[in-house]
Formats: sequence, C-alpha cells, structure tokens
Amino acid sequence: MCRIFFKIIAFFSFLAIIGCDYSNQNIESNELKFNLIQSHINEANDKQNSINERKDNIEKAYGICSTLNDSAFQIEKIHEISFAYYALKDYESYKKMNEKALKLSNKINDSLYIARSYAYLGIYYRSSKLDVAYNNFYEAEKIFAKLGITRGRKKIAYDRGKVLIDLALILRKAKDYSNSEATTIKAIESFELAEIDQYMPMCYTNLGNLAKLTERFDESVEYQLKAIEYTKGTNREISQTLISYNNIGTVYKSQQKYDKAKEYYHKALSYTDFLRKRPKRHARLIDNLGYVNFLSKDTANIPELFYKALKMRDSVNDKFGIVTNTLHLAEYYQSIGKDSIAKMYAKKSSDLSLELQNNIELLSAYQLLSTVSDSEEGLQYANKYIVLNDSLIKEERLFRDKFARIRFETDEIVEENQQISKENQILIIAILGLTALFLLGYIIFRQQQSNKELLFSQTQQESNEEIYRLLLNQQVKLEEGRHMEQQRMSEELHDGVLGRLFGVRLSLDGINQRANDGFTEARNKYIDELKAIEKEIRLISHDLGAETLPSDVAYIDAVENLIKDLCEVHKIAFEFNNDEDIDWESIDDQKKVNFFRILQESMQNIFKHAHADHIKINFDYVEDTINLTILDDGIGFIASKVKKGIGLKNITSRVNQMKGEVQFVSSEGSGTTVLVHVPIETKVKEVYS
Amino acid sequence: MIDDHPMIIEGYKNTLLGENQKEYQIKIDIASNCDDAYAYIIKSSETVPYDMLFVDIKLPPSSDGSITSGEDLAKHAKELLPKSKVIILTMHREDHRIHNILKNINPAGFLIKSDLTSSELLLAFNNILKGKAYYSATVNDHFRKMMTNKFSLDEKNLKILYHLSRGVKTKNLPNYVSLSLSAIEKRKNQIKEMFSIAKADDQMLLEEARKRGFI
Repeated sequence: MCRIFFKIIAFFSFLAIIGCDYSNQNIESNELKFNLIQSHINEANDKQNSINERKDNIEKAYGICSTLNDSAFQIEKIHEISFAYYALKDYESYKKMNEKALKLSNKINDSLYIARSYAYLGIYYRSSKLDVAYNNFYEAEKIFAKLGITRGRKKIAYDRGKVLIDLALILRKAKDYSNSEATTIKAIESFELAEIDQYMPMCYTNLGNLAKLTERFDESVEYQLKAIEYTKGTNREISQTLISYNNIGTVYKSQQKYDKAKEYYHKALSYTDFLRKRPKRHARLIDNLGYVNFLSKDTANIPELFYKALKMRDSVNDKFGIVTNTLHLAEYYQSIGKDSIAKMYAKKSSDLSLELQNNIELLSAYQLLSTVSDSEEGLQYANKYIVLNDSLIKEERLFRDKFARIRFETDEIVEENQQISKENQILIIAILGLTALFLLGYIIFRQQQSNKELLFSQTQQESNEEIYRLLLNQQVKLEEGRHMEQQRMSEELHDGVLGRLFGVRLSLDGINQRANDGFTEARNKYIDELKAIEKEIRLISHDLGAETLPSDVAYIDAVENLIKDLCEVHKIAFEFNNDEDIDWESIDDQKKVNFFRILQESMQNIFKHAHADHIKINFDYVEDTINLTILDDGIGFIASKVKKGIGLKNITSRVNQMKGEVQFVSSEGSGTTVLVHVPIETKVKEVYS
Repeated sequence: MIDDHPMIIEGYKNTLLGENQKEYQIKIDIASNCDDAYAYIIKSSETVPYDMLFVDIKLPPSSDGSITSGEDLAKHAKELLPKSKVIILTMHREDHRIHNILKNINPAGFLIKSDLTSSELLLAFNNILKGKAYYSATVNDHFRKMMTNKFSLDEKNLKILYHLSRGVKTKNLPNYVSLSLSAIEKRKNQIKEMFSIAKADDQMLLEEARKRGFI
C-alpha cells in the first residue's frame, strides 16, 4: 500500500513537472513515464496484491500509457497491459486493449505490432468463436510469413510459432486433422528456428492427440513421450508428465489396452504431492482410471473412484469435469441396470453440458438418456441426439469451409501478389533485356563507327598514296616526254643536220681544192670553221642524247614544284636544297607521301599564321636519317600558348607513323623551325668492290 | 656510195670527181638505203664488181629487216664482192663502235666524218687504190690506245665504261648493255682490277678510264 502511495505521489509530481516545463524535459519525462508504467504493470502482475489493487494499477499504467507520444513503445506497453488483464481474467478489457493496439499499429503501419495484435485477439476468441479466432490468427500468420522474408525468419520465429500452434489447435477442434498436423509441424519448425522450447510440449501433445484421433496410436504415444522430454529438467516437467500420461492412458483406452492405460494413470497418480494442490487434474485422473476400470470390467473400486472424483470436482466447481464425471456414473449405473439413477446422472450431465455448450459430452448424454428413459422420452432424446449430431457435423463442416475460405482468400491474395511479382519480374527482365540490347546495339554501333573511321583513314591513306603516285607518274611521263624529245633532237642533229653540214663542207672543200682564184686559203678557214661548228653540234647532240635525268629526280621535282607553286601563290621567297645522297627511289612511297604532306601542312601553317617573307627547306641525309628542316622568318609562336591545331597534330602523327621525331622550335618574333628526323632502313649499298 | 644524205654524196662526188682526179675513170652508183645498196651489190657481183664501196654506218634498214646498218651491208659486200675495198664512213667516233667495226669488218678504209676533209678523202682514196689501208686519225688513235695498253677491253666492257661516263647508273646499265646486273658488276670489278684500282668507286674508275683513253 505504501509503495503505491509513493508511486502516486511520484506520478503527480511528474505530471507537475510536465506542466511546468514540458518541452525541456520531454525526454526525461518520457523516461520517467516508462518507468512508471513498468512499475504499475509489475504491481498489476504481482499476485500477492488483491485483484482490485492489481486492476487499479493496470488502469493507472494505461492512463500514463495513453499520454505517450512514442507509438511503438505505447503499443508494446498496451500489449503488456492486456496481458495483465488476461492474467486477471478480465478478457473483455484484454480484447479492448488489443483492439486499441491493432488500431495504433495500423496507424503507424508497423507490421510486427499489427501481427501481434491479431494474434492476441485470436487468443481472446479461441475459446468462444473459433472462426473469428482463426481469422485473427491467420491474419497474424500472413503478416509473420511476409515479415519472415523481409526481416529474417529467425526474428519472428517465436511469435509465429505461437500463432501457428494456436491455428493448429483450432483446426483440430474443427476436426480438420490433416491441416492441423501440417500447421503443428510448421509451428515446431518455427520454434526450432527460434530455439525456444517453451511451446514444444504443447506442439507434440497436439501431434499426439491428432495421431490418436486418426488412430495412429503408437505414434501418438511417442509424441506424448516426446512432449515430456522437452520439459525434462524444467519446473514444468511434472505438469507435462501428468498431462502426457493422462493422454497416453486415453490412447490405450481407445485401443482397449486397459492394463496399459491403468498403468499410466497409476503412474500419473503417484505424483501425490503435486496433485494435492491441483484437485482438477487429480479428479480427472481418478475419473479416467475409474472409467478404464469400468470398461475393463474391473469393478472393484467402482463407483467409489467416480464419487471420489466427483467430490473433488464439486468442491472446486469444475463444471467440465462434473459433466464427464456424471456421464461416467450414468454409464456405470446403466450397466448394472439401475436406469433411474443412470438417467438422473445423465440428465445432470446434459443440463450442465448445455450450460457449458459442451456439445460432445451433451451428445453422449443424449445418447445415454435415449436408452435409459422410457420409450416416449427415449425417442425424444434420440431425436435431440440426431438433431444435435447433425448440427455438430454441419457446424464442423461450416468451420472447415470457413477456414478454407479464409485460406483461399489469402491464397488468392498471395497468388495475386505472386502474379504481380511475376509481372514485375517479367517487367524487370524485359527492362534488363532491353537495356542489354540497347547496350549491345550501342557497342556494335560504336564498333562500326570506329571500323568506319579506320576504313576511312585507310582509304584516305590509300588515296594519298594514289595522289602521290599520280603526281609521280605525271612527273615521270613529263620526264619521259622531255627525254624522248631530247633524244629525237639529238638524233635529228646528229644524223640530219650534222650529216648535211658535213656534206656541204665536203663539197665546199672539194670545190675549193679545184678552184684556183687565190681565195682558197680564205675559204679553207671558213671550211675549218664549219668543221668546228659540226663538232659543236655533235657535242650538243651527244649531251642531249645522254640520260641526264635519273628517274628519281622526279620526286624531288614534284616537291620542288609544290614549294615553288605555293610560294608563288603566296608571294614568298624560298630556298630549297636536296641532299643528293638521299636515294629517293629506294624510299617507300608511304614515306615520300608523308614528307610531301608534312611539307604541305607546314607551308600552309606558315602562309596562314607566320607572315613570313622567306622560307628555307632542306632535305639532309645524316647517318641513315633524313632530316627535313622547314625554316621561316615569320612572327613565330610561343609553344605553350598555342593549342595543338589539327595541322601540328597531323604532322606529329605522320612523323610518328614513320617512327621519326619532330620538333617545333619557335619563340615570338624569331620565326619557326620545324625539324623532322626520319630514320631510313639502311639499304645494301651498291657493291663497288 | 651508200649514204642516206644526198648532201654527203654530193660532197663525196665533188671531192672525188675534182679536177686533180682526172687520171681515173670513176663510175659511181648511189644508194640511199640498205635495199637499194644490197640490190646494187648483187647486181655488181653478177656483172662488174665494184672496186670500192663507200658505206655509211647509219642507214635506213632494209624493208625485210635483215640488214639494219652499214655494218651488216659491209659484211654482205665482203662476201659477195671479196675483191672490193670497203671504206666505212661514219659520224660515230666512240671507241667501242670503232672497235666493233674494225673487228667485224676490217675495212680497207675507216673514215670518221667529223675528221674528214676533202683532201683527206682524196688521200684515203688514192691510198686504198694503191692497196694501202687508210684510217682516220681518230681510228689510228684508237689503235694506238689499244696497243699502248697491255690489255684490251672488249666491246662490252667499253660499252659499260662509255655509259657510265654518260652518267647512267649501274643498275640501269642492263637497259643499255645486254648483260645482267650481276654480270655488269662482275665486269666492272674486272676492269677495276685491270686498272689496279680494285677498291675504287665509280668516280675513280671513270677517271682512270679517261686517263687510259678508254673513254
């Protein structure tokens, strides 16, 4: 009492603090609130306090809880508060709390809390409305299944397992045994994943019960024993052992192995200390033992055992127990022919069953009543039995249908989701495919482009060479023509002019010999002069006829013509020197073309930018290297300031192509010198020795 | 008289039929090409053979192409008219040609037109009539050169030197001399050895050849 008083004071003072300086102490006050709520919940769960005190504490905890602004924390606390209500058996409040929690969870869209809220609501409905309970659990399971994918299965395995075992139990109740078993196995897997054994006995017990119901008795016993194994060494060992032994007893009873059944009931009953405090269970075991004895015709302790059990049950008002108990008594009295007593107990059982809505026992009671009553009443009971049985079967079917529908709807949604995800997948694949296709296309396009470029440069080179060849051919033809003409002139002079001149001279000489006019000497002098002229003509003819122009002069001629033409157009004086040691004929056309183009390019640069008056171009041959020097007296340029134009780049690339070197030497106002060094493969020189 | 220039024939006639040649009765047949010349030679071989044949080297070839020059014609003449004196008159004064003509024809007279004067022509005419051979100064010079050299260069070697001296490159020589390039190289080396300048270049070879009068 004292503690609570302090708490209340603390609470009020805390409220005061909030009132005074809410904003500043927000965090601090939140922490305070958490602590307060926690202490209230702890108080509420303390079984030493009175029920009213506990309820009071819960309400207070909830009061503080509703002022919290952290929704997630609030939901968690509301769940805890709901548990406290559950512990106090205030199930309506429990339901209300969880409905609130569900609402809040939906508001902040927190899947985990939504699922938990559904699961807790399912717990509320599981004893009254199976279908609603199923719906809630199923909703929770759906969310957990999804969460398992997004947040990791292990994290939610425990929560999910609890929901699954609840679902399994509901399914068993609706006699959908196969689904129940499958769900139980799923639950076991979940708990194994979570590595928490708390609900394992429940799972195995359920499996055992299912096995019994489907008449797999050996399996059933195994399951029950396994359930005990999970509790070995824990404080629940005895409790579980009793449950399992009772169940095993029932299994053997169903198999009509009454001795074995009795053995397990006796074993269970040997836990006297434990049972003394739990009359309900004690009574059930005694009742069951009695019933087995009765079935095995071992009537020594009958009906004493039944009465002993009934007495115990009466004392704790265990109505469910009483129903079964009275039914057993009725059966017993019927068997010994005391129909009226049997009818009395059967009536009692049926009335109580009606009250508890325990239809299974009610059915047995009606069946019994129909046989022990007189014919008219018996018929009535028989009719009641049939109607109830039909309605029960109908109800079960209805449940199963309902569950199936719930599952189907969910499946539909899942299918839809799958459909959507499939569509999404297809879309993604399509997009990826298209992207890949596009990329591929782009790459191919680029490849083709670069191929084209390559082809272009190749054809350019070819055309360059072609141009050069044509140029050279022209030059050679020109030379040939000139040479032929010279040859013709030479021959003409030698054979024609010279011959005739000789003939004339000879005639003159002959005549002169015969003449005797005193001028012979004078004429002889001119005849000699004629002879000298002849000689001169002969020399000229000889010179003309000689091959004065080697064919490789053609290239240098072409170069010189180029320089001359360009310089004439731009009115610039030029000087051109070609080292005669360069054997142009042995140099490949590619190099010749490159030199030609470099010259062209350089001269264009000079004409465009240099404002030169004079240029000097030299081809020198030093140690297997051709050095081309292009010198101008223009304005020059500062190398660093000039961006490399296409002209300079072209020159550089051409020189690189020839594996040579190029230098651009220039400074402002002092002209420019372009130096090109190109190595020439040493050709085997003509053998002289 | 065979020459394709009427002017030259005129010159010969003017000289030979001059006043101081009255002691001879000269009959002259004139041909200006190989066909005509050959016809005259055939004819004379059947009737009265010529005493003397004046043959120019450069002549329009015969229509069937068998006789291409005065040289060929002279050879035929020597066969057909063995007693005739053949006098070669030519504008060519190159050593290898002189050498060739001497070797192939061995003419009674060998006159180089550019040296020739009418008095020399008369002198040659008279000498040959008397049975003495007559050669122009240039031809004699050639003889002298041949004699003074301990060795002689054959026609091909002379040709090589001649073309080299004209500035033809060694590798173009096969176009001028009917030899392969390697054969030409070999010959050049032989010449150099003969001149005892084994390791000289073309320049020195030509200088030496000039000195020795082969060019």
